[in-house]
Amino acid sequence: MLSRSADSLFWLNRYIERSEGLLRFLHTTYVLSLDKGPYVNNSWKILLDIFSTLSPEEKLALENNPDKVVEHILLALDNTNSLRMMLNRARENARGMQDHITKEVWEQVNFTYHKINSKSMPAQLKSNNEIPAIESLLKNCLLYTGIVDSTMPRGMSWDFMNLGKYIERCMLTVDLLEKQVVGHDLSEEKDILYWRGLLFSLSGYEFHLKNYRSNEANYNAIHQVVLNVLFPHSVMYCLDRVRKYLDNVVNQNDPSDPAGLTRQFGRICSAVEFADVEMIRQVGVPVYLSQLRYNLHQFAWSLSQTYFSYS
Amino acid sequence: MKVEELLSGYEHAYAWDEMLEKNTVRDHYRPVMQKLADMGFENIKQHHAQASELFMSQGITFTVYSDDAGIERIFPFDIIPRIITSAEWAHVEAGIKQRLKALNMFLKDIYHEQNIIKDRMIPAWLIASCPHFTREVYGIHVPYDLYVHISGIDLIRGEDGTFFILEDNLRTPSGVSYMLENREVTKRLFPGLINSNHVRMVNNYPLLLHANLLSLSPRNIRNPVVVILTPGIFNSAYYEHTFLARQMGIPLVEGRDLVVVNHKVFMKTTRGLEQVDVIYRRVDDEFLDPITFQPDSILGVAGLIGAYRKGNVAIVNALGNGVADDKAVYAYVPNMIRYYLNEEPILPNVPTYSMSDKMQQEHVFKNMEKMVIKRTNQSGGYGMLMGNKATEEEMESFRKKILENPREFIAQPIVKLSTVPCFLDGKITSRHVDLRPYALCGPGGIEIVPGGLTRVALKEGSLVVNSSQGGGSKDTWIID
Repeated sequence: MLSRSADSLFWLNRYIERSEGLLRFLHTTYVLSLDKGPYVNNSWKILLDIFSTLSPEEKLALENNPDKVVEHILLALDNTNSLRMMLNRARENARGMQDHITKEVWEQVNFTYHKINSKSMPAQLKSNNEIPAIESLLKNCLLYTGIVDSTMPRGMSWDFMNLGKYIERCMLTVDLLEKQVVGHDLSEEKDILYWRGLLFSLSGYEFHLKNYRSNEANYNAIHQVVLNVLFPHSVMYCLDRVRKYLDNVVNQNDPSDPAGLTRQFGRICSAVEFADVEMIRQVGVPVYLSQLRYNLHQFAWSLSQTYFSYS
Repeated sequence: MKVEELLSGYEHAYAWDEMLEKNTVRDHYRPVMQKLADMGFENIKQHHAQASELFMSQGITFTVYSDDAGIERIFPFDIIPRIITSAEWAHVEAGIKQRLKALNMFLKDIYHEQNIIKDRMIPAWLIASCPHFTREVYGIHVPYDLYVHISGIDLIRGEDGTFFILEDNLRTPSGVSYMLENREVTKRLFPGLINSNHVRMVNNYPLLLHANLLSLSPRNIRNPVVVILTPGIFNSAYYEHTFLARQMGIPLVEGRDLVVVNHKVFMKTTRGLEQVDVIYRRVDDEFLDPITFQPDSILGVAGLIGAYRKGNVAIVNALGNGVADDKAVYAYVPNMIRYYLNEEPILPNVPTYSMSDKMQQEHVFKNMEKMVIKRTNQSGGYGMLMGNKATEEEMESFRKKILENPREFIAQPIVKLSTVPCFLDGKITSRHVDLRPYALCGPGGIEIVPGGLTRVALKEGSLVVNSSQGGGSKDTWIID
């Protein structure tokens, strides 16, 4: 496979996965901001921290104006992390290697691109229709995942796409959890309402209610988001998937793995696989997470050096 | 609704109308017009909107270069098919085959012995002054002596219905994907009609092309590597490049994906370098190799021409073909047919005046309002003057430019292109069309896909059909 195509496949899926994460987080934030609960809702700030490049002052000015935040996060062309920019880039990647994706996948990317760029989009977001608009965009991202799953042949294209998808998902989970805990004292027991936003954003609230019965909300939430192998947005689950697709890619190219990617990745995995919540709390959740993120970035960089360098 | 009602208000002034003959619908158009009449205007309108949506959602778009930023548009599609009878088609097909045979022989001759010049059938100065006469490829042997693997020759019909050759496109003709997609859309809109009219199929084009490309491989191996070389996503025909890559199942590469090592071409893959045997390039000659041609081109591959000269890679179409589709050389193609094949041309040229000839130039200057003036080295409808539409200033500026550099211009009498019915603004009206059939030359001979791309001038009365100048397209049916 052409290195450039592999690069595009990897990034196509990263952008769409990130778009999906953005939309789910935005949706949760919007809906929860309508409930006045015991915890001061700071998710608008987290949202802006992750998905915008504004200065702290600009963020402060936006924070209390949900309509503006929604528009900025979804449509702003001067925000490189806005949904529109990500979908534009996803489509650019898809266009550049249409011979590697199926017609169905291409049409879905193209459709979503036209949807976010349509002239009627800003109006839809203004006329009290924000939630249906966000939901419908989210549906299209999910539809993409389904179409990819049911039409893409299982081969190297598929492997690179999934590497992109799970690396991105893992990073997003790490980011969200870190932003949730930083500056909070976790030795003080929080209740489930504190974690609800995060769990909704990762599509894991119902999972949590079903699987965690005890009262230790902090322990439970960290366990689910980092270590639970059955939860598809947990760090553990994502790493497990990455390992599978990494093995495929290495074996289909140069099995001797001269760049040592498998080894590098194995080290990241072991730091999660052999951890438990107690250990993570001892190290300090933010410290643990930022180390993890740093290592993941390093790994993604090595991956691109090995397979994508073509210019 | 009756057909007469459907066509009330249909006018076709002073041109050959392909549907009407003395105000009655020709037999081969009757079933389609009857079907449209049965559907009624409202229903036709819905079908029309549906077609546009299909093109947009599939990303079948092209880019127009007007401002700095390329704008993505769909190529307007008219849902009423253009119909040609098999008898008319047989004539067209024979004419194109004959012409391509001669053009191929001309290209071989001009880059090797140059007998046609020595025998004074074509003036040496005309070739020497042609910007696309490529000295860099002089003497290069190409597989099977094939130069024009893929061509899109433009035909028009004059006022009495005769087919004329308007232009030979022998470099990187585009539009074939629209021919194929138009048919796919028509299949969805009028499935019954296609079936009952016995329309000849077009969709084997990619398979024929792929087989031809494989046969050109310099390495005698089972699975030669064939690629399409595209300038990238900003090229106006990018959709077509991806379409062809997908239809043939071959990689779509850009210049930066290729590298030449030891006079062999390789592509950069996740596995390392992999040798490339055949390149179907959609990049113009002058951008193909920065070492030989434009040094600042980033679309090409350094050293490609060296590999080509060594015979380690086949390039399709061959380099240097531009000398044969130059608009001034065009006037000599009937001579080539006589010279190389000893036959009379089956399809005539449009009369062409050379601006380098004083007498012809004078004649053109006197009758400028009846002439179309074209630059010999431009395409896409850019840089031309339609005498009947031009202002006095425009004509004056062209006269000046012609006097400065007569070799760069030719003139032709304005031919009223034939008209066909189109569905525009909620009614059926007539518009002018041309026809671009796509021919594939391989070691086994010449194959022409029945039909081709019909381009329509969507503006009322306009004779310019180029997509960049507000043209649209139609599905083209050859029916038995």
